[in-house]
Amino acid sequence: MMSIIQEMSEFLQKGRAKNVKALVQQALDEGIDPKEILNEGLLSGMMIIGAKFKNNEVFVPEVLVAARAMNTGLSVLEPKLVEIGNEPVGKAVIGTVQGDLHDIGKNLVVMMLKGAGFEIYDLGVDVQPTAFIDKAEEIGADLICMSALLTTTMPRMQDCIDQLNEKGLRGKYIVMIGGAPVNDSFAQQIGADYYTPDAATAAEVAKQAVLSKEK
Amino acid sequence: MIIKEFDIKICKENVLKLIDCHKDSPIYEEVTEEYEEMLPAVYEKMEPVALLAFESVEEFQIEGAGNESKEALFCITSIGGRISQWITELFTAGDYLGGMLADAMADDYLFQVDHLLSEVVIRLCREKKRGVMRRLEAPQDISMEVQKKALEVTDGENLAGIRIKESYMYDPVKTTCQVYLLDDQIERFHIKHDCSQCPNLSCKLRDIPEVTVKAAGVQGGIIEITGRKDQTLMEMLTEHGIFLSAVCAGRGTCGKCRIQVLEGEIEPSKEDKRFFSTSEISQGFRLACRAYAKGDVVITLDCAQEKEFAVLTDFGGRSKDSAVPDTKSIEKGNHTYGIAVDIGTTTIAMQLIYLADAQVVETFTAMNRQRAYGADVISRIDASNNGKREALKESIQKDLMTGISKLTAHGKLGIERMIIGANTTMVHLLMGYSCETLGVFPFTPVNLEIIKTTVKELLGTYAQDLEEDFEVCIYPGISTYVGGDITAGLYALDFEKREKPSVLIDLGTNGEMAVGNQDRIYVTSTAAGPAFEGGNITCGTGSIPGAVCKAVIEEGKAELKTILDQPVSGICGTGVVEIAYELLKEELMDETGLLEEDYFEDGYRLAMDASGREIGFYQKDIRELQLAKSAVRSGLETLILRYGITYEDIGAVYIAGGFGHQLDIRKAVGIGLLPKECEGKIQAVGNSCLKGAVAGLMNEDAEEAIESIRSVSQEIRLSNDKDFNEFYMDYMFFEEV
Repeated sequence: MMSIIQEMSEFLQKGRAKNVKALVQQALDEGIDPKEILNEGLLSGMMIIGAKFKNNEVFVPEVLVAARAMNTGLSVLEPKLVEIGNEPVGKAVIGTVQGDLHDIGKNLVVMMLKGAGFEIYDLGVDVQPTAFIDKAEEIGADLICMSALLTTTMPRMQDCIDQLNEKGLRGKYIVMIGGAPVNDSFAQQIGADYYTPDAATAAEVAKQAVLSKEK
Repeated sequence: MIIKEFDIKICKENVLKLIDCHKDSPIYEEVTEEYEEMLPAVYEKMEPVALLAFESVEEFQIEGAGNESKEALFCITSIGGRISQWITELFTAGDYLGGMLADAMADDYLFQVDHLLSEVVIRLCREKKRGVMRRLEAPQDISMEVQKKALEVTDGENLAGIRIKESYMYDPVKTTCQVYLLDDQIERFHIKHDCSQCPNLSCKLRDIPEVTVKAAGVQGGIIEITGRKDQTLMEMLTEHGIFLSAVCAGRGTCGKCRIQVLEGEIEPSKEDKRFFSTSEISQGFRLACRAYAKGDVVITLDCAQEKEFAVLTDFGGRSKDSAVPDTKSIEKGNHTYGIAVDIGTTTIAMQLIYLADAQVVETFTAMNRQRAYGADVISRIDASNNGKREALKESIQKDLMTGISKLTAHGKLGIERMIIGANTTMVHLLMGYSCETLGVFPFTPVNLEIIKTTVKELLGTYAQDLEEDFEVCIYPGISTYVGGDITAGLYALDFEKREKPSVLIDLGTNGEMAVGNQDRIYVTSTAAGPAFEGGNITCGTGSIPGAVCKAVIEEGKAELKTILDQPVSGICGTGVVEIAYELLKEELMDETGLLEEDYFEDGYRLAMDASGREIGFYQKDIRELQLAKSAVRSGLETLILRYGITYEDIGAVYIAGGFGHQLDIRKAVGIGLLPKECEGKIQAVGNSCLKGAVAGLMNEDAEEAIESIRSVSQEIRLSNDKDFNEFYMDYMFFEEV
């Protein structure tokens, strides 16, 4: 028989928010470790759907409903996680750079990072280089993620990395960038750690980067 | 001018397309329900506005405007900021689907504002007695700065509260700018968005206009095909089964896919400027792999089309008169025939064998139509990994079925079984295996084992009309780079019975080779590159009629022989070896491969082809040959060294493959491709893979012998081999070391 956790993961992948929510409650009532519910029930389901998306097995809408189901489940689980003092995989500061108001792509990355177990501080759009750094310092972030959709705003990513260097903080953070005009060689050129072409990859890379940094 | 009244109905179909929601998705219902629920709220938040103003463009720097146009109609369209704010709120609340849906609905709405505006643009232009020469959009046609000018000209900030960031991005986000360049040609309005010019390649609404290509010189006739504007002519032609010579697989580096434009316009590419003279370009010569038709075109392929490739099916140089099977005298269902198959990367060869006496009854050869997806194994692997796995499988299934139909007179003959020899990649493509691991380190294959199946299973629906199913056996491979075709060749040459070590070399793009006897066989493959197949050689070509295959240079004059004695069309692999040997012999080239000063710049001229193109042999061609011959020779030397024998211990050296077949052994030895010490033992054996398949049909114990060969075979990898690298430098030169 399928365990309650497995069932939760299956429902999550199908985007069945109500079922996921009910199962999270049931699992808590049965005394299952909230960490197990989070990792094996919710996050693992998001990982699977993210991988399927990258493989072209499912499309964006399927990922969206799965993520929504995860959020619904999380709303029940979160108080318990806080209670037991569960640590997230990592903390990320994210935003679209100064002068740029595009936010859809950035929002999708936020969604996938949450799905990978990150605690997210979304600064929104039109974010000054210093704002990324100040927030990262304040909350003790692991990651700084920047998005730019215009060739005229791409250089702001460089500004942020330059300021990190000037302040001697570059080594503290993993810097990831993304957006339509950005690519790998641009990332290297400005000294970012990673460029990822889509939200699912961003989440995978972020997780690996944080885990390997901890080692 | 400001317009705020628009009658717009959001198009559900477009919205679903934009977010990639397909009818067969399990959540289609859920998404459409949500869409319907959100619709009223979306309409309520729309604040559409369009601003238009005529202005001189002389004070603006608009590239492409030239002198033809002095005036433009500047246009800004927006749907306001409330919708964007709402979208952000939805995302923040974790309603991702709602956020994406609302965003797509907003985009569709904005596109429609732009679309509806075209009527207004036309009306305004008519009043001014102007036409629209071109529609410009940022950033692909005009710089982002122009957005600022447009805002000033239309007074968008005061009239509609639209602001602009220092990056020239409009606020609100859902605002766009169009600039219509005007001229005096009234009643001509080029005002539609041109998807083929748009940089948003992943746009789900991308709609590329079609173009018609009439191509002359296809099997003596003219064909008419249609394709999309963003396809190269080569892509269009291959989709219709017309294969241009493309050794570089359409990368624009081999210069083989020449076409000539007779009517219509094709902008010359960077590569065209490298391969053609200015006058050739003005005569319309282009490389098909880099040619994008601007509109309908008429072209001729006479100068390029790969005519019948000489596909090698015989063995050991024996001539063979294949008799047409007398279907009447043979009783159906007797199962006295077998089919031997060699699936090569470039060509396919099949033979119908009468099992009673091993006679070749009928032969079928064809191009491997997978070439449409790339000329070499690497580009096929790439294609397979990029969603073409099924298409590649179907392509070879279809080709094999065509061969079976032809050989069996449409299934009238009873077939006992079929045996296939092919390299590891071809087997993967035929079986529909994933090629993900084939192309990347450590190059692991999905399966190398012998495959036993039936024709109906292997060819699926393509074989459904065959009355009777029959057995199919696909020979096993030794490694990713030394496949079942080499196993077949070793079997054909009785390696499993040999006591004296012998050598088999298959000369091609991947020079596969083996050294060994019944107890131990070492195999390897070496990246010879396409030079032996005419690739990367300035005037190189495949083994087609008219290709130079023999050359003698005496007293400064070149005496040439071409395949089928047709007028010179290029130089094939054997021609390359012949010419290099002759240049060396006549001391027109030194032992380092340097051409005499007279020829260094302009090459050694050999002849003119039918279209008046110079056929010559150039310094860079010699370098290509040096790389290729050294790779093969060094591979062989490394194998012999590792095996622990000397030239004297070697019983025989067999050269397989179409190229090896016509090779003048003396000249190959002369340029150092093969060792002088073995000259008397070298023998060209033709298509040893096909012969191995035939032998398998005739012998009960074939499988056992093949497995025995595999069990004693071991691959030697050359990529990091120190000895190989040293040999490789030494054998680059022409003198014997």
